[in-house]
Amino acid sequence: MVEASASPALLSIKDVSKAFPGVKALDRVSLEVHGGVVHGIVGENGAGKSTLMKILSGVYEKDSGEITFEGKVIEKTTPVESMHMGLAIIYQELNLVNTMTVGENVFLGRFAESGGRAGVHAKARALLDSIGCKVNTHKLVSEISVSDKQMVEIAKALSFDSKLIIMDEPSSSLTNDEMEKLVKIIHDLKAKGIGIIYISHKLDEIFGFCDVVTVMRDGHVIDTKPVGELTRNDMIAMMVGRTIENEYPPRPDCAGEPILEIKHIRTRKLKDVQLTLRKGEILGLVGLVGSGRTELVRALFGADKVADKSILLDGKPVEINSPRDAIALGLSLVPEDRKLQGLLLGFSVEQNISLAVLTRLTRFGFVNSKEETEVGERQIKALNVKTPSGRTKIRSLSGGNQQKAILGRWLEMHPRVLVLDEPTRGIDVGAKYEIYLLMKKIVEDGGSIILISSELPEVLHMSNRVATICDGRINGEFDPAVASADEIMAKAFEFA
Amino acid sequence: MSAATEPMRGRVSTHAAVTFLKNNPIFVAIAILAVITSIVEPKFRTTENLDNIIRQFGVLIFAALGMTFVIMAGFIDLSIGGIISLVAVVTVTQIDQVGQGPAILIGLGVGLACGLLNAILILTAGALTQAEALFITFGMSLVYGAVALMYTQGVTQFLTYSQSDISIFNAINSGSIGPLSVSAVMFLIALAILLTIERRTYMGRTVVLTGGNKVAARLAGIPISRSILMIYAISGLMSAIGAVVLASRVTLADPTMGTPWMTQAILAVVVGGTALVGGRGSVLWTVFGALLLILLNNCLNLLGFSSYIQFMLRGVILILAIWLDTAKQNAVSK
Amino acid sequence: MTSITQASRSVIGLQKAFLAILMVVIAMFVFNQFDATRSEFFSQLNLINLAKDSSILLILAMGETFCLIAMGVDLSIGGMMALSGVVVLQLINAGVPIPVAIALVLLLGLLVGAINGYISVYQKAEPFIITLGMGIVLTGLGQQLTDAHPVTSAVPDFASLANFQLFGVVPVLVLVMFAVVGITFWVLRTTSFGRNVYAVGGDYEVAKYSGINVMRTKAATYLISSVLASLGGIMLASQLNSASSISGDAVPLYVVCAVVVGGTSVAGGIGGAIKSFIGLILLGVLTNAFNMLRIDSLVSYLPTLLLGVIIVSILWLDSYGRKRRREAI
Repeated sequence: MVEASASPALLSIKDVSKAFPGVKALDRVSLEVHGGVVHGIVGENGAGKSTLMKILSGVYEKDSGEITFEGKVIEKTTPVESMHMGLAIIYQELNLVNTMTVGENVFLGRFAESGGRAGVHAKARALLDSIGCKVNTHKLVSEISVSDKQMVEIAKALSFDSKLIIMDEPSSSLTNDEMEKLVKIIHDLKAKGIGIIYISHKLDEIFGFCDVVTVMRDGHVIDTKPVGELTRNDMIAMMVGRTIENEYPPRPDCAGEPILEIKHIRTRKLKDVQLTLRKGEILGLVGLVGSGRTELVRALFGADKVADKSILLDGKPVEINSPRDAIALGLSLVPEDRKLQGLLLGFSVEQNISLAVLTRLTRFGFVNSKEETEVGERQIKALNVKTPSGRTKIRSLSGGNQQKAILGRWLEMHPRVLVLDEPTRGIDVGAKYEIYLLMKKIVEDGGSIILISSELPEVLHMSNRVATICDGRINGEFDPAVASADEIMAKAFEFA
Repeated sequence: MSAATEPMRGRVSTHAAVTFLKNNPIFVAIAILAVITSIVEPKFRTTENLDNIIRQFGVLIFAALGMTFVIMAGFIDLSIGGIISLVAVVTVTQIDQVGQGPAILIGLGVGLACGLLNAILILTAGALTQAEALFITFGMSLVYGAVALMYTQGVTQFLTYSQSDISIFNAINSGSIGPLSVSAVMFLIALAILLTIERRTYMGRTVVLTGGNKVAARLAGIPISRSILMIYAISGLMSAIGAVVLASRVTLADPTMGTPWMTQAILAVVVGGTALVGGRGSVLWTVFGALLLILLNNCLNLLGFSSYIQFMLRGVILILAIWLDTAKQNAVSK
Repeated sequence: MTSITQASRSVIGLQKAFLAILMVVIAMFVFNQFDATRSEFFSQLNLINLAKDSSILLILAMGETFCLIAMGVDLSIGGMMALSGVVVLQLINAGVPIPVAIALVLLLGLLVGAINGYISVYQKAEPFIITLGMGIVLTGLGQQLTDAHPVTSAVPDFASLANFQLFGVVPVLVLVMFAVVGITFWVLRTTSFGRNVYAVGGDYEVAKYSGINVMRTKAATYLISSVLASLGGIMLASQLNSASSISGDAVPLYVVCAVVVGGTSVAGGIGGAIKSFIGLILLGVLTNAFNMLRIDSLVSYLPTLLLGVIIVSILWLDSYGRKRRREAI
């Protein structure tokens, strides 16, 4: 047990809220972190963890609420200021300059004050030694391991005399040995009185070395409790359980014949994936961010390089070496990041929608613009995209409507196999239902769907089968009518 | 009812006109320029001068039209200077060997081949950005230019009109078909073809889609590679046509004559309103861009400015055009 | 460059470039053994001229190195060099004392660099085109000032600025060059500013979040590049005792390519004074060797051809390396 309540809080967050257009990322979040305590934060994707961290470090500005650090109220800050204040964050996407040396990175922007070349390397050496890291300070960051990179970040935090260090999913790329080293360092830091916020998906780690844990869900703090008072199941239940506001159409029936068989896909991230999709079914794919779910569908679709791939369509082996091949075979992929990978901002709504079927609208090399407009209108109506006309530039639509338009692009193809990667993210409740109806219609018309989603209720209600993917491997298969959300999530968290 | 709506309709169309002009300031610029010059310098309005304008227009526009697709796709072609030089010398030297017609065809073939070579190098290197294309095509410009020099040993090749009076080159230079000069007809045909490709065909659509968002386009099955081959092939071909026109005009082929046209072509495209970063543009806009440039040159000439000042002004216009375009992009994305 | 944001490793390492130079020297030595290919390559006159010509370009290359490391580019250096030479001579011929004339021209370089920096960095316009346009403006200005005729110096003292041979052998120009290279090396290696330049080019966002004034750093590289181009122009005018307004035409891209050959990447974040030095020397030696070998039909075209092939190859390899490291097809 930790005497957390005895000393005043190092960091106090009271009723902090933050909204982005269309979504409330944080809703009156409150928690306290004490020095010398390892405070874990867990939550599903989209729970609000990273938004909270970014507000603390100054990347975002909170809408309301109060943040106090070391007794001082903090209204607005910048990443540099927060570092100088003693609040350091080590991001998952490490904040280092790859082309510069370790020593220089520790003291980035403080070269002269730290004594020039000699001083920087000497001080960096001292800091790294204090956490037991032996990496050579003259090596380029691009040449060292991820584990060492994290050490460099920690050294950087220590060089600012940090009182609170936040670690965002540090262990995702570490081996077991490297993890042990990290844990030891965390204990050392704790002993020095430094407060540590440890954000992670890995429940073993939370139970392994965190003293207190806060569970977040949908922008709320569900509860903050000492780790010893919770069981694994308690935690999962808190993360996952929610009131179901959405309604879902009745679960579609399933035909049965396998239409798509992934016998084998191997890439850098995917270890050996096998998956079968049956005709007329919706197969849900559940996994944490980084589990390989997006990589799997991209590899399937020919968008990424693969080491090894064997796919059967209708029982026959097929070669998919590019998205064009996939599309020609009747596959469709609605990407996760529709803004980056889907939107053509400078173009009209109907041009965006008809993008994937352009070949169908082409005769003797000429595009039929009348049909293009028809296609656009059809999808705008089907998905209820709010736009003055098909000719409007898509950049003037709201985010949610842009998403819908991109979705329309793929639906227009009437694909045999449709892969949806987080299809309802950023879309309002009413529109979600419309999309679910469309999904149902697609499978009724003979199509098949792979549904990737972080919203468990959605997956459970829409899928005929659910597969879990963890750490690049499919590790479970469930019948959602029988299995519970907790069971499925537990599998998703099960790192071998 | 009608009395109330009549004046409304009039107002609506003025509003539309004003918006159009605001979004396409180039028309305003051309109009202002033309008006001011014709007031200040009455010589502007003579047929001789207008003829002059059209003749200058002739070489620039072909190079600029070819460059337009490349820039629309988010790439760039710095090799057109070298291509023009090479095509010009090859064509002129081949006249004695194979006759005028075939020589021109060979020249066009060389231009096309150079363009395809550019594209192949870019594709095999996996270059997806404008910067990479920039340096690769610049290097090729040096190569093509050097080949032109080697081919002619540095000696300028003169166009000698052989026994027959009917010379294609002569025709290009000063002949006419009806009320229009031959080169004007060539230009209009080229424009019509390119505009059709751009607006109505699938491959034309891929050009601007590639420039808009390569990742999204690729994921949607757009054939990026084929698009790249096409844009550079067209650029090479158009440069070749420009070279033939140029050789006709000055009746000679000098192995370095193509060099100044590269910046001119880029200028015409950018001033015309096609975004340098790609994804937005049209060959039609480039026509106006080239027109503005030629008009500017013409006015400055008539007003007595030295050719050096004109040269300088090109640089100034280039800077201003990009600056304004960037400012516009920044405003939009906020 | 707005479009390249991933850092890439340099294609030709320092060692390889240095080896290449060695190979050329050895080849020339071998060639000298045979009548057919004997040349004046190793004569004192040639070596001194080679050193002088390279020195001018090296001064420019040092400035360009700053820009490229910070992920920018300055193509106005050719025009700046030509204009500077022209202006300094015109001032001196008009009676302005030499030091004053030099100071004024360097100030001009500062001004031009400030404009380049402002538009490219603070206004976020594409530096490639902006500096290209500026180069055109400067060249045109030079032509206007001289009516496209070369200017000759009427003050013989000025020539000694570059050409006076210390210890009878080493021209002052070469010493100036070494000073510039040395200072560039020192600044990039040991000063905060120098380190910040690498940071800004290596990862703009990270540098920004570390409190580095990224815009000011990038803009400063343009200042440095222009001033050094100006200095180069002054030195060139002194060396040749004359200045021509078109002397800068092929220069900027040649210098950029030399710097890239030496090990700076177009994608920013890496490079250095020594690397650029070696890169430029390599190109200079190669060009000189070919000139000396005087292979009749190819003489003046081969260097250009070679340069073109080298540039394309280097950049091709640079891009290909990135392609292989990419995950997406």
